[in-house]
Amino acid sequence: MSVATKGNQSTSNQTPANNFYQFAHNQNTGSNRLIVAQFTMSNSTSYTSATYGGVTMTRLYTINRSGLGQRMAFYYLVDPPTGSNTLRINFSSSQWNPVSIYARSFTNSGGIGNSLRSGGSATPHNASLTVSDDSLIMMTSCSVNAITSQQIPTGTNQSYTQHNTNRQVATGSISSNAGHSAGSISLRATSTFGDISLDRTEILGLGATPPSGENGNFFLVM
Amino acid sequence: MITIISKIELEGTDSLKYTDIGHTEDVDVINQINEDYDASLGSFLGKNKTKLEIGLVLLSAFFNNYEYVHEARTQVTTVEGLDFPKITNVNQI
Repeated sequence: MSVATKGNQSTSNQTPANNFYQFAHNQNTGSNRLIVAQFTMSNSTSYTSATYGGVTMTRLYTINRSGLGQRMAFYYLVDPPTGSNTLRINFSSSQWNPVSIYARSFTNSGGIGNSLRSGGSATPHNASLTVSDDSLIMMTSCSVNAITSQQIPTGTNQSYTQHNTNRQVATGSISSNAGHSAGSISLRATSTFGDISLDRTEILGLGATPPSGENGNFFLVM
Repeated sequence: MITIISKIELEGTDSLKYTDIGHTEDVDVINQINEDYDASLGSFLGKNKTKLEIGLVLLSAFFNNYEYVHEARTQVTTVEGLDFPKITNVNQI
């Protein structure tokens, strides 16, 4: 077992004013490659597909955060083409608001594991994700207010990219290189005040056991 | 992270076309490009978003006064494989 090797990352926060947006991202060479992409934008339109190097990416989830007026999505591709290729996201109609895009490459990865999503909840928003040995966790959050931390695990601040989609977005936070031991990992997202969402996805190490089915939406009952 | 500089032009009558034209790590260059964008196309999009969505305003109205604008809000860890120059002065674009 070994933790996936983190590779190149790319981020963009521009207004497509078109029914697609695309930019170049460089996938590292190596075996057991993986590319993932996190998206957040106004829910005035929807994601229809994503491609990398012309190859259709798999959609892990898309979710409409109606309270925030935002639609968030996660796409990935196993064994993507290497080098500089175009990452393209297509929309159901023109998007006139800025889109938050974060792409990250890996090598020596066993693919995507568990993934859970939690809608807006009062800061600090605490959640967890059960992972296999030697996994990494990626997080993303959205809030009306400025986002102040992404903690993986709780108590350990990870760097992230802050985007403005007419809401505040934290994207690209990921576990430290050592990864996690198998079990439930506590996570925390904070904003200056108000509600903040917390979506988390497991990046499997090499030789990891496939996920045990912890996938889906989590609804907070008030 | 390295920042990519995009050239933004009108495509057709109501869409944008982005072309990457350079890269920089100079914060002053990035800030100047984005301040100019925010004061021009960014302001137009913000003021007219609803009308643009329903077709009451077209992007071509903005490009009657501008041939193109630039923006620097894409960041990458490597420019390997990308064939455009490093920008150290905003006058280079």
